[in-house]
Amino acid sequence: MKMKPRWLAIFLAIGLVLAACSPSGGDTTTTVAETGTTSGSSTEATDPPTETTQGDMGIATDVGVDLEAGTITLGLLSDLTGPFGALVTPIVTGQEVYWDNVNANGGINGLEVKLEVRDTQYVVDNHVQLYEELKDQVAAFGHSTGSPHTVAINEGLQSDGILAIPLTWYSGWSDTNLNSNLLHHGAPYCIEAMNSIGWLKEQMGDGISTIAIVSLPGDFGLDSAEGAKKAAEALGLDVVVDLAGQILPTDEATLTAAADAIVAANPDLVWLTSTPTMYSSIFGQALAGGYQGTWSGGAPGYSPAFVAPDSPIKDAVASSMYFGIYFEPWDGNSAGTQAAKQMLADSGREFTPFDYYLEGFVEAQIMHQVLLAAYAAADMTQGGIVAAAKTLSEVTFDGLAPTESYVGSSNEQVQRAQWMVKPDPEGLVSGANGGTKIVEANYTSDIAANYEFNEACYQLG
Amino acid sequence: MNPDILILAQETAHPSRFAEMVVEGLSLGTIYALLAVGFVIIFKATQVINFAHGALATMGAFLVASAATIIDVPGRWMPSAPDWLVWALSVLIAVIAMAGIGMLLERVFLRPMVGEELFAVAIVTLGLDIFLRNYTNDWIGPQPRPLGDPFGAEVVDLGWVSIAQTEIAQIVVALVAVGAIALFFQSRMGIAMRATAFDQEAARAQGISVGRVFSISWAIGAVLAAIAGIFISLFPRRAAGVDNTTAFFAFKAFPAIIIGGLDSVVGAIVGGLLVGFSEAAAGTYLTGVSFLGTGFAGIVPYLLMLLVLIVRPYGIFGTEEIRRV
Amino acid sequence: MLYSSYEADQALMNTGPKKVILTLFLLFLAFIPLQMVEGIPDLIPGFDFLGNNDWLKLLSTACIFAIGALGLNVLTGLAGQVSLGHAFFMGLGAYTAAWLGAAPGPLAGIGLPMWIWLPAAGVVAAIVGVAVGPTAVRVRGLYLAFVTLGLVFVGEYIFRNWSTLTGGSQSGRTFPDFELRLWKEETPLVDFANDGTWFGVALSGEAKTYYLLVFLLVVFVLLAKNLQRTRAGRAFQSIRDRDIAAEIMGVNEFKYKLTAFGISSFYAGVAGALLASFVGRTIPERWDLFLSVQFIAIVLIGGAGVVTGTLLGSVFVITLPRIVQDFTGWLTEYVTEGNGVFVWLADLLVVTGEGDFGLINVQQGIGSGLSVSILNQVLYGLLIIGFLIFEPLGLYGIWLRIRNYWKGWPFTY
Repeated sequence: MKMKPRWLAIFLAIGLVLAACSPSGGDTTTTVAETGTTSGSSTEATDPPTETTQGDMGIATDVGVDLEAGTITLGLLSDLTGPFGALVTPIVTGQEVYWDNVNANGGINGLEVKLEVRDTQYVVDNHVQLYEELKDQVAAFGHSTGSPHTVAINEGLQSDGILAIPLTWYSGWSDTNLNSNLLHHGAPYCIEAMNSIGWLKEQMGDGISTIAIVSLPGDFGLDSAEGAKKAAEALGLDVVVDLAGQILPTDEATLTAAADAIVAANPDLVWLTSTPTMYSSIFGQALAGGYQGTWSGGAPGYSPAFVAPDSPIKDAVASSMYFGIYFEPWDGNSAGTQAAKQMLADSGREFTPFDYYLEGFVEAQIMHQVLLAAYAAADMTQGGIVAAAKTLSEVTFDGLAPTESYVGSSNEQVQRAQWMVKPDPEGLVSGANGGTKIVEANYTSDIAANYEFNEACYQLG
Repeated sequence: MNPDILILAQETAHPSRFAEMVVEGLSLGTIYALLAVGFVIIFKATQVINFAHGALATMGAFLVASAATIIDVPGRWMPSAPDWLVWALSVLIAVIAMAGIGMLLERVFLRPMVGEELFAVAIVTLGLDIFLRNYTNDWIGPQPRPLGDPFGAEVVDLGWVSIAQTEIAQIVVALVAVGAIALFFQSRMGIAMRATAFDQEAARAQGISVGRVFSISWAIGAVLAAIAGIFISLFPRRAAGVDNTTAFFAFKAFPAIIIGGLDSVVGAIVGGLLVGFSEAAAGTYLTGVSFLGTGFAGIVPYLLMLLVLIVRPYGIFGTEEIRRV
Repeated sequence: MLYSSYEADQALMNTGPKKVILTLFLLFLAFIPLQMVEGIPDLIPGFDFLGNNDWLKLLSTACIFAIGALGLNVLTGLAGQVSLGHAFFMGLGAYTAAWLGAAPGPLAGIGLPMWIWLPAAGVVAAIVGVAVGPTAVRVRGLYLAFVTLGLVFVGEYIFRNWSTLTGGSQSGRTFPDFELRLWKEETPLVDFANDGTWFGVALSGEAKTYYLLVFLLVVFVLLAKNLQRTRAGRAFQSIRDRDIAAEIMGVNEFKYKLTAFGISSFYAGVAGALLASFVGRTIPERWDLFLSVQFIAIVLIGGAGVVTGTLLGSVFVITLPRIVQDFTGWLTEYVTEGNGVFVWLADLLVVTGEGDFGLINVQQGIGSGLSVSILNQVLYGLLIIGFLIFEPLGLYGIWLRIRNYWKGWPFTY
């Protein structure tokens, strides 16, 4: 019985592969599908995607822009359920709300913007696979979460000629050798560290003379730690604990050890760049050990959950933490921020105030201005969008974020301004802000201003 | 300056660091021991390696967070009662729910596997872990959920070392739990469980309801996991509350179990404490030693486990399997 | 089926139909990437091949996972040893490939050609597999699962810290491309990574990579199939079925367990090298426990001990997330169009707008259901459980049933 032919098994294998093939023809999902069915002569289904077509308006298009259906499709490579899900989920919501609003007000000169959101779970392989899936559907990527992840697709972006906005503040994105197809925004981790530490030193003077530097490995942690070391050197601070790259998200022992080292060395300032969970664990254990100093670190390490009403550490956090942030937080009142908050309120979605919704608006506004420029240049091909983006010398946000430039040298392009905030339990409860209160707006420290930026502070291998 | 020299220099300057290390070892060790004991009870009674233990711990902590802060049960009906009482009742509700969940999981997913190969059953729990962990994490959401405990961030300063109230509570609860289990094994049900662990068929022939033994052992295992999960999610370790990283703790319970021996409750306690202390010691004395690199303390338990297995392939307290053709 | 000789009974392709179907299937695999080529699709009217879309990449990934899973199948399916350490051996293979194959740069790399680095990746992993084998042989059954679990954690620690080779934690490194060179000459003999022309047919880099991987998979399938028929293969199975009985019959348990570890690790090493090169960039955290679990899932879902099952399992596990995603997308479309018989059912499943009930959230932050990626994970866990409880023979067992049903059709027996 055991040696019976297996041909049926093979047939079923064919069946399975066929089943896998079948959606490939009309490979449009969720949002695009509604309009895809109305246009009988959908060009992308029959023509190979590389061919350029001229529309009625004399605008060149290839992938992701359908003039007949009147749509522009953007891809979002997001970490929705991974370690940064808490930040990226509201960012995606922010983008969705912004584009809904643009579409309701006439779109990009009549073209409606659609988003294709994919969850990468912060895994490089998934990121690359989903990039491959989307690159033949989208005009550009509205964001790409994670630095090693973005580096992994960067070569593809360059050879396929597609634009992406990295959703990480790695300083390499401002390096002109790396960013031919990327649009950086916000002060990078390394500049952020110079700003935040510079500001704290300005405020506290002699109160800060020793610093502990603790961070995750990789671009986020080490870029930030590198900036902190440069700041410490410039300000003459004594680095009493150097655990840069020495804490790991899945390894509790490293967190306990870091807290232990902080308690033992008792520095005036702790510069800790990590995920929020790790931050709260090290903070909690150091507090339990009797440490009473000041805390700061890379902005994504802070979570408003620290100061939630039931949080046992809310008082300690409120009295000892200061953070930077790359755009104006919810607490701000500039025209751009007000407009964003209003759009979110009018969207009918359930939300509680949170700073990172606004990051979604920042990204979407960059892409909005890029698309307008590409439309004006009558070239909305993937390559045309890249070219249009790299001519923008002034991208403005009405106060929501500092002005960005995508022309000139690395040193001219890099963003140096940021906001300084402190945790605010009352604001979180009353809904006045997202758990952070602005203590200084549009701030650039002397160290950051004088820093000659020629390449990434920390080099990814 | 070279960080190695720096940290070692502080070492000598702070005699209390040893005391700190002991507290940390005890705090980590009791969590691992709680996880390991629950694990061993399930294995002894049902011959199931429960890879879903971390997921159960997360679930337990999340149920407390739900009861105490999200839906406010029983607090909403007893506004004038003291905080600690309300919270204790919330914990009680969560723990009872976890016992029920444990029984349900056993009945639905593991009872059909009785008599199958041990590793096939173990892989079922691996699937169960993926399922439960993701489902629970989806419930928790992206932000951590505080447990609303009355301990807060209170710290007891003993002069030479300070220790969080929650850690004292944790050590007391762990001692009580171990005592309760020792008593349980003297009870009728406990004896039935020991008989089942010894020989399922013989126990059945003696009129023991093996099915009930299975249920109860999963209930106890789930409750112990939940208690561990709750203490993981309290002040010093997860100050902001339970989140999707809680389940990772259970990976350190595995070396604890193997070091002690898969089928020994005493072994689980010893193994748990040993793992906790070795991690704390390695963290205190070896972090920042450059040639050891990042995260050496985290793999010390696994190295210890491999060492023990080479010397004693059935763990320190485990019984050697008698192999017959 | 009656066989007149032992050779016929043991033959790889023991029946005529099997040969025919297999040939057709291989041809079919060869046609999959051909949609973009002018004229080719018309060869078979009405048949839409994959062409150069991302499904081709998914199938390529499935090929790589199949190679790795074939290795685990030898160890777990044939020799009956549970290993959670497969990811560690894959990592070893990947970094061996990087060291030997990557161009010299800031990270270790000596730029040797693929015909060296690919086998070397397998060999290094196999040597380490045999080296840790004695420990693994000493412990039995479930204890072995934990030893190999420890191996994954220790391996991750080593990969993370050996940053001159691996690029370091969360940074990672690039891996050599798929290119066939004789030695270190400038232009490769065969370039699998970039677009080009083969035998007058213009092919994309993706298509060429796919052909390479299918070819490698066929080679490894033949090796694995053959292994079952050798002395070693039979020894493995006797150890699996009853180790002491096997030993009494004269099977050297120690030797064959080591051999099984070595073979399994060889497959894992090659698969690791292929995966890393295919993705192009990988971080040390990639080689973690979840990857090992994925391989166990492939072997179990496909059907332990059966080569065909392993192949089916790979395709299934790798394409599942994409199928779920496309399916929910299709459901949403179906509900929003709102003119089908089962709209109410589909509407129960997906959340289409604010306040709508559903089990699956399609849009972020709307609805109380599961997001698509969580749904994937939940399904993945449930499938592992379901197959073990209801169909221990896996997908292969399901086929067997279907096949036997149709064999007797219209009679039920």
